[in-house]
Amino acid sequence: MAEKALEITHLVKTYRGGIEAVRDLSFLIPTGTFYGLLGPNGAGKSTTISCITGISMPTSGTIKIFGIDAVSDYKEARRRVGLSPQEFNIDFFGKVYDTLYYVAGYYGLNDKERKASADSLIERFGLSQYAQTPFHKLSGGFKRRVALARAMVHDPDLLILDEPTAGVDVELRHELWKYLQELNKAGKTILLTSHYLEEVEKLCSHIGIINKGTMCLEGTKESLLSDGQTLEEVYLSATKKTEVTASIS
Amino acid sequence: MLISRDIIRIFRVWVQTIASPLISATLYIFIFGKIVGSRIDLIAGVPYITFVFPGILTMNILTSAFMHSSSTTNFQRFMKTIQEVLVAPFSHIEMIFWLVTGGVVRGLIIAFGVLAIGVFFGAVTFAHPFIFLFFAIAIAIIFSLLGIITGLWANNFEQLSFLNTFIIMPFSYLGGMFYSIDMLPPLAQVFARLNPFFYFVDGLRYSMTGVSESNMYFGVFFMFALILGLGGFVYYLLKIGWKIRE
Repeated sequence: MAEKALEITHLVKTYRGGIEAVRDLSFLIPTGTFYGLLGPNGAGKSTTISCITGISMPTSGTIKIFGIDAVSDYKEARRRVGLSPQEFNIDFFGKVYDTLYYVAGYYGLNDKERKASADSLIERFGLSQYAQTPFHKLSGGFKRRVALARAMVHDPDLLILDEPTAGVDVELRHELWKYLQELNKAGKTILLTSHYLEEVEKLCSHIGIINKGTMCLEGTKESLLSDGQTLEEVYLSATKKTEVTASIS
Repeated sequence: MLISRDIIRIFRVWVQTIASPLISATLYIFIFGKIVGSRIDLIAGVPYITFVFPGILTMNILTSAFMHSSSTTNFQRFMKTIQEVLVAPFSHIEMIFWLVTGGVVRGLIIAFGVLAIGVFFGAVTFAHPFIFLFFAIAIAIIFSLLGIITGLWANNFEQLSFLNTFIIMPFSYLGGMFYSIDMLPPLAQVFARLNPFFYFVDGLRYSMTGVSESNMYFGVFFMFALILGLGGFVYYLLKIGWKIRE
């Protein structure tokens, strides 16, 4: 497996109307890393994830997933990625089991593999009693579980989780943390965005802080917190500096 | 997987997708074919019910195919469930195949249903079965492709019904669905021949009754040209991610 799970170089994303959501963003996630991407609302985190996964088209720059170009060789690149998006984008009327079964098929799993994957994830995420329940009838926490299970259904090497614990109760959050740590220990590379700094501090070995579409601070957790500062202090200082730089320029 | 999931959706809402068009087709055949038709002389040598049936069939195939792909595309865009497909390893061709197949399957389900109703009323004949299959499938493909374009373009449900209300319905009615264009004044006949829907109805009518008012080779060529043209355009729209990839 390639040493770099994700390599983003000079990524720019400008929306129609001229809104520049991502400006010359570059960063690298080594394989096996648990990477936390932090930033205030509108910093460009979700746009970056959209560009990586194919929901958005980058304006310029390159994205490589395990060395595979995410634009020119998108089919191969997307096989390696699982996404749990911030907003639910699951068939509201589809049953939980069917959703997992069908999505597994999108990634080329055969019938036996699809059933095995759906069964195992339903059990892992405590969804057994809701397997035949339509998605829209689930509570927020269970919807989040389904979104996470769907991201895992084809056993991707790179797992991208955009605010996976938003709106989730404390018990489930702790359960998810444990599960994600197990996945990471098993070799999965994880890119996590979150507004919960304690979550990122607890789980991630590498942290990147972006603001106004650019990376303002990046490094291992140890290096960022080496001055005895808390992650919150580091985060506020980094995003404030960007605000000042942006207002001067 | 995408296709089978889409086809299951057709049956999940069968009242809307299957029962509704079959009930209206029954009414059309009964009122126009049986009641009104019994008082009309032969047209082009065939009873009116036999003459009008291919028109009703065409209208049902194209409406079902169009409604399926337009609503699937638009609903998936609106609910953002299209993202589930966008992040998966599907090529643009595979995405077209998914949306078109759903439309064609729904169109053909309705076609078989309408044919069964037609048999009951004694309206069905098959002069050229293979040509019938070609036109039925080609019409479904063309309107599935048009449905994708409309589903991508429409920003709300009102816009979604725009093409159906202002183009599909009037052009199909004016394309010789219920009459022979020979009945029209000479100038109107010229306009009728410029109406693409005339070739859809005429092709299917020829395959069922053996009666044609246009050159069949031109009709076949026209169908292929439309499929290629619309298919190429849909491919381009998906490639640039028009309204689906931000």
